[in-house]
Amino acid sequence: MGRQQPNDRAALRSRTAWTAVLAGALAMATLMTSAATAYVLLGHQAPDFALHAVGGNNVRLSEHRGDVVVLSFWGSRCGQCRMQLAALDNSFKTYHSAGLQVFGVNVDDDQAGALEFARTQKVGFPLLLDPQKSVARTYVVDNLPMTVLIDRGGAVRQVHRDFSSKFEPLYLQQLRVLLNE
Amino acid sequence: MLHVACHRRFLALKAAPLRLAAVTLGALLLAAHPSAFAQPAAAPPAGAVPAVTATPGATQPAAAPASAAAAKSAAPAAAASAVPATPASDAATDTRGLDQDIQGLKKDVVDLNRDLFVLEEELLFPANTQVAVFISMDVGEFFALDTVTLKIDQKEVANYLYTPREVEALAKGGVHRLYLGNLRAGQHELVAFFSGQGPHERDYRRGATLKFQKGIGAKYLELKINDRQRRQQPEFEIKDWE
Repeated sequence: MGRQQPNDRAALRSRTAWTAVLAGALAMATLMTSAATAYVLLGHQAPDFALHAVGGNNVRLSEHRGDVVVLSFWGSRCGQCRMQLAALDNSFKTYHSAGLQVFGVNVDDDQAGALEFARTQKVGFPLLLDPQKSVARTYVVDNLPMTVLIDRGGAVRQVHRDFSSKFEPLYLQQLRVLLNE
Repeated sequence: MLHVACHRRFLALKAAPLRLAAVTLGALLLAAHPSAFAQPAAAPPAGAVPAVTATPGATQPAAAPASAAAAKSAAPAAAASAVPATPASDAATDTRGLDQDIQGLKKDVVDLNRDLFVLEEELLFPANTQVAVFISMDVGEFFALDTVTLKIDQKEVANYLYTPREVEALAKGGVHRLYLGNLRAGQHELVAFFSGQGPHERDYRRGATLKFQKGIGAKYLELKINDRQRRQQPEFEIKDWE
């Protein structure tokens, strides 16, 4: 037993070293992933754009400086987009009088599909069409639905690249913070 | 030991700029908000007031509780009269001065921004090559403007979507600079396409063309949208400002 103790210690040391190496590698991988997915516009001024709205007038983002703006990029084949637009519609109805503006930006190639989607999805806020995808490219849309929260000063403050009903309280919390500023 | 001493010296050297920065920052803060530091002297805490203002008679242990309470209620008034007014007025003056400084700085920034804007325009669009295209609208009863596309020499140079607010501004007499660019001297062709809603809310798309001569000086062109009452139709024309 007495002879085995140094071996046990060496094994323990080796195991600890390996654990540390693995933990370091994991941390590095996490950092690299987060760096890769970091949104480039976060903290910067939101790029201005003007788009046609479905069955309505044109919308220019800079005209809504002073309001909290939510841009939701959606596609007609995206099931979660429909859920998200419905959730955003609830927030829009509640906080519109407090200075909340919501714009749904469609990124479909097929305008007919987008118009049909817009016809069936009853929302109170404008749904915009971006067939050239110029705005989607400017806002680096890499997943649908993608939501960008812009503060009253016109700076991009939050971005969400996915939607689930469990995220809804988080959205509301972030919206309230921006509306209270 | 030598190693430790060297290390300490290194740390001291390293900390020196930080300390200097901290002292500078403190001095700046003191200079910027002297009122914040002067406030305790100007308005002492409530507990300290009786000690400062109490007369020997009032602090006598033999004084009745009622008179003590009366003295306590009278203390703030006495304190107000007893504390000299100069530090408070000094603080107010300092705050006013700070406000004036801030306003002055803001004005300087605005002036600088304007100068930079003018300089940028002069550098990017020199007067001898400059071409500017403006758009104006008169009444606009027969046409609701939506988009204007501009082509110069068969090349699209501008495509602008007008929002209701912008259309309203144009209808009120506003003029929008649609395009600013450079062109060499010679003959050029400008084509403008106007999209929107015409009479009876029908989709409407019209074009206007102008061939113009670009000389040495700057060139200004105006796209005009007018209502032609006799034909109940909008009219589009391009005016060359000589």
